[in-house]
Amino acid sequence: MNQRVLTIRRDIQAEQKADAAAERERLGQRGTLVVNLLSSPGAGKTALLEATARHFAGRRSMAVLVGDLETDRDAQRLAPLVPVAQLTTGGACHLELPLVKRGLQALGDPAVDFLFIENVGNLVCPASHDLAEHLRVVLISTTEGDDKPGKYPKMFRTSQAMVVTKLDLLPHVPFTLEAVTADALKIQPELEVLSTCALDGRGIQEWCDFLEQQYQEKIESVYEPAGNQ
Amino acid sequence: MHERSLVQTLLKQVQQIVADDGGGRVKEIQVQVGDLSGVEPLLFEAAFAELAANVFSEECGLLLEVVPVKAECSLCGQRFEVQNYEFLCPVCGRGPVDVTQGDQVKLMSITVDSEDMVEGVKS
Repeated sequence: MNQRVLTIRRDIQAEQKADAAAERERLGQRGTLVVNLLSSPGAGKTALLEATARHFAGRRSMAVLVGDLETDRDAQRLAPLVPVAQLTTGGACHLELPLVKRGLQALGDPAVDFLFIENVGNLVCPASHDLAEHLRVVLISTTEGDDKPGKYPKMFRTSQAMVVTKLDLLPHVPFTLEAVTADALKIQPELEVLSTCALDGRGIQEWCDFLEQQYQEKIESVYEPAGNQ
Repeated sequence: MHERSLVQTLLKQVQQIVADDGGGRVKEIQVQVGDLSGVEPLLFEAAFAELAANVFSEECGLLLEVVPVKAECSLCGQRFEVQNYEFLCPVCGRGPVDVTQGDQVKLMSITVDSEDMVEGVKS
């Protein structure tokens, strides 16, 4: 018997991460900020996107890729407002880059200012997959409990912003902004924390201002000298 | 349950690496899984047991090592093991800290039985 040991020591996702980095660069260069939205099912990703689309209407262009296990219900909700493509995973718990690229092609690869990816509702698996986003945002609704960051650390560790949703329900549930913020900041001290209510519009201005600021930092100040002068 | 998709990625890479290295029977694959990798070791092992049987003609073992999360403070340089997912520097208390270990799934090594291949490789 002739046995040999091949020493590798390599991240098995290295190739996917490199692909994602190349796609992020391509989209950034032509002026698109990619925002990956993640949360549990029902936290309000679609409602936040509806409010965002209304706020940006006529000022900023955007498109949405909607990931779901089945149905295109969320895509139907968004379609009257913005270009949208459905990514149906057929039961898979997260999106991967090839699916995102396919969705982008289905939209005609538009050079929008913001490309939002509404990820599959899940606080676990989507955290492990780079979808070429410039900004990863985790949503947490007030009905979920303010201890979620500690229970799903990778999701909060890999996000740059946390948006608390359904502020209107705050008086009725055992949830405090202080507790969820403290829990999240232990895991990701640099996390930007925002709070919103898509129904009554609270916090939507601040959320969109934050997106504008991110656009400035990650796209305009990085790529503009080469692109638009 | 993304462990299945990670195992598929792993097996594809192992096949490619072994083929590029001259081929042979894959006997054991050593993998390191970090506490912050988002992978549940039991689910990973179960997915491996199921999928590896479809890929390799003979039984192939999985040696799975779970490693703790380690980090380095970007301000004072302190290196430490992260406890309870609290990413604050234990010395200066400020951070931010960079994760240096424990957020990846790593293919560490592959043990190959090259009994039938030696002559072919050398020629």
